[in-house]
Amino acid sequence: MQKQIDPRVMAELREILDPAGVVSRPGELNVYECDGWTIEKSVPQLLLRPRSTAEVSALLRVLHRHNLPFVPRGAGTGLSGGCLPLAPVMICTSRMNRILAIDARNRRIEVESGVVNLNVSAAVKGAGLFYAPDPSSQAACTIGGNIAENSGGPHTLKYGVTTNHVLGVEIVLPDGEVVELGGSIEEPCGYDLVGAVVGAEGTMGIVTRATLRLLREPETHRTLLAIFDQVEAATRAVSAIVASGIIPGAIEMIDHLIIRAVVDAFHVELPLAAGAVLIIELDGLGAGIDEQAGRVTEMVRASGASEVRLARDEAERALLWKARKRAFGAVGRLAPNYATHDGVVPRTRLPEILQRITRISQSHQLSIGNVFHAGDGNIHPIVLYDERDPDQVRRAIAAGHDILKACVELGGSLSGEHGIGVEKINQMPLVFTPEDLAAMVELRHVFDPDERSNPGKVIPQPGACVEVAAPRRQAAL
Amino acid sequence: MTAAGLPHESRLSDAFVSLLGRECVRDARADEIGVARVIVEPATIGEIAEVVQKCARDRLTLAPLGGGRILAQIRREPVSVGLALRRCARVVAYEPEDLTVAVEAGLTVGQLNELAGGKGQRLAVDPPLPERTTIGSLIAAARSGPLRLSEGTVRDLLIGIKYIGREGRVVNAGGRVVKNVTGYDLMKVMTGSYGTLGVIVEAAFKMRPVPANYTVALAGFARLEEAFDAAFRSSHGAPLLHCEIVSRRIGLALPGSPASANDRRFLLIAGLGGTRAEVDYQLTQIRGAVGTLIEALDGAAAEAVYHAIRDCPAAEATIGARIVVAPSALAGALEAAGAEFCAHAVSGIAQLFLDDVDEQAAHEAVARWRALAHRAGGHLTVVAARDSVRAGLSMFDEPGAGALALMRRLKAAFDPSNIFNPGCYVGGI
Repeated sequence: MQKQIDPRVMAELREILDPAGVVSRPGELNVYECDGWTIEKSVPQLLLRPRSTAEVSALLRVLHRHNLPFVPRGAGTGLSGGCLPLAPVMICTSRMNRILAIDARNRRIEVESGVVNLNVSAAVKGAGLFYAPDPSSQAACTIGGNIAENSGGPHTLKYGVTTNHVLGVEIVLPDGEVVELGGSIEEPCGYDLVGAVVGAEGTMGIVTRATLRLLREPETHRTLLAIFDQVEAATRAVSAIVASGIIPGAIEMIDHLIIRAVVDAFHVELPLAAGAVLIIELDGLGAGIDEQAGRVTEMVRASGASEVRLARDEAERALLWKARKRAFGAVGRLAPNYATHDGVVPRTRLPEILQRITRISQSHQLSIGNVFHAGDGNIHPIVLYDERDPDQVRRAIAAGHDILKACVELGGSLSGEHGIGVEKINQMPLVFTPEDLAAMVELRHVFDPDERSNPGKVIPQPGACVEVAAPRRQAAL
Repeated sequence: MTAAGLPHESRLSDAFVSLLGRECVRDARADEIGVARVIVEPATIGEIAEVVQKCARDRLTLAPLGGGRILAQIRREPVSVGLALRRCARVVAYEPEDLTVAVEAGLTVGQLNELAGGKGQRLAVDPPLPERTTIGSLIAAARSGPLRLSEGTVRDLLIGIKYIGREGRVVNAGGRVVKNVTGYDLMKVMTGSYGTLGVIVEAAFKMRPVPANYTVALAGFARLEEAFDAAFRSSHGAPLLHCEIVSRRIGLALPGSPASANDRRFLLIAGLGGTRAEVDYQLTQIRGAVGTLIEALDGAAAEAVYHAIRDCPAAEATIGARIVVAPSALAGALEAAGAEFCAHAVSGIAQLFLDDVDEQAAHEAVARWRALAHRAGGHLTVVAARDSVRAGLSMFDEPGAGALALMRRLKAAFDPSNIFNPGCYVGGI
């Protein structure tokens, strides 16, 4: 059971914020019961929405004094339960959404952590720049959430994930102290603590501000749609492209099941009969891009593509990306509920992992669709189920576990970009020894010795196994 | 710790001889003298762990050495035990089709790239003298070179790590896949940690394809500001592999004595890669951006110029330092520094150096450079100081108080007995 917040503490916290910054009515709090990992839910007792670093610091000082844990939250679009409220107080950064400075010459932007990802690129488009990490939720997710999860996206194949683009952060430690790490410079003075905070899933404090690196927009793009009868042939094509030395901006795969959902939802012209399609985007100089597109087309054909289409204009390119990025939304048409996984394998093992997923789907008698970042080996199997049927829920969880186990067996890992959260916490020992985990806990304690910032995430308690067994389960504190 | 409290060298080496065998223990030589009192050369990761366990038990300080060059400049007094990892230099797994590699820390960057070159790939970080830079020291000192502009730095390409931590504990983080957010990112913490948190024994990296063609474009400038403006314009117009600006002495010493270096004080050296059509196109772009005499070198001539700027002679100078500032502030800082330099022009990083100066002049130079770095929002690390000028120099800068307090906590957590290369890192860590 969560510790009930003492009314006097509640009053102290209220005093720090304006009335709109405090949400405490049960009905309104229900919205915050989970993120995109909907299998587990837990309603916070209090939601706080500060507008400044000073307010965050003041709130955390009060919580520190009363030894209360808290959960940081951005937009709640995470997929691994990273902001599942396993603490009574939730602190949401969405009102801290100002872009503070744009420095086009140095290709930097300084933002508050509640700024929405897509707004960063929009703010610098006029200068010919963009912010590279582009998760599918980029129209909603915040930079603070991206930093917590070390988010990726399709174009991270060429440009890297969030950690490659964050130069400095301002973080409020769980005791309320405000610390600047890194800055607007390329190399830190001393240990790379920015690198420790990015991807820590909010377990080291609350990031309130960040200095991000911007990239120059590529001169041009070529976006190809390659159509395959068989998913295996598509995965072979991915390996062939990567091994050839061409690094596309993105290589994305959509399998038969998801193609059907996307076509129904968005009326995109994808071939319904295809086993799989690849969206391959090349970017770079106009001078070399058609030669590259030609080579990729040849390789894809040689791997067994029945057809390769080139997006004729920006509108066609946008439609393909819309189909890809909204694929998860379309999945709602296939089943009442779904759980998206995020395992990663060496790219050459993609054919094997997809075969294994097919077998896992059969053995648990659940449909599993695939739409994923093939170029990175980062799979996103989508397990379809109905949460009203407890047996289906049980099988969905078991199927997810089997998929992750298979990823690890093939030399891969549990999460490419969604984070561990609560979803994969029990699988951490598949990848790491107790010594590895102990070192990670020691790193966390540098920032959060009492484990009050986002408790119960990332690192399993020794000997404890959090049972994920039923929907709407009140997660244990 | 005073020398009086330490075991005598011969007793010290005897202890490790009985642990590892005679062939694995030797005296310090060349750069290692002054860094460590006895050198051990374990042959396996298990043996490295045993050495660390013994050091932890006996409260002996230790430091991983690489070639010893970097620590020779930084350490003021020797640690008890220097770990040379040349026997731990195996390629654990190279998967060219996945563009990943896992190697032991004693392998040099040069050796790795010789192997990968056969597959048209490379580890695309280029510290000075890669043939003498071990993978361990590449990560520990994090001195990424010119290719940082296009390929990123050590921290961007490092995807997995194994190190020996406190009490000889073997710790793994990351993995061998190119995209991975499983667990905390201990790779970042170890990158640039100068051996103060543990002994790096194995690492996995993303590999990158070597561009099909490589051309170096050179242009000379009378004024530094002009050179930097040209560098920023060039890098905005073309996806350069690297973009360096060097001072006159470096420019004149480049192999083949490029004509651009004559009569001009500053030389811009831009690397272009890709298909022939892409390189030609970029050359046109750069000509437009620079608006002055451009020479283009290909093949061996281009490689020779690249090697010369990568191996910037700052580390061999009487006094040399690495300045890191906001990119747009670098020109002003270099203008005021009064030193020879090699600059990663659009990254805000340069190596500064002076030769043939006395102790007072060297100290004044470091103080001046440091003040310039601070004014430009950055910091300065001394990377070379001859014995004649070293006394009393602080090699590292200090981060802000809040960050430094966290760093001290990190050191205390990862190395509670304070045996890993103690006393020579930021804030005396």
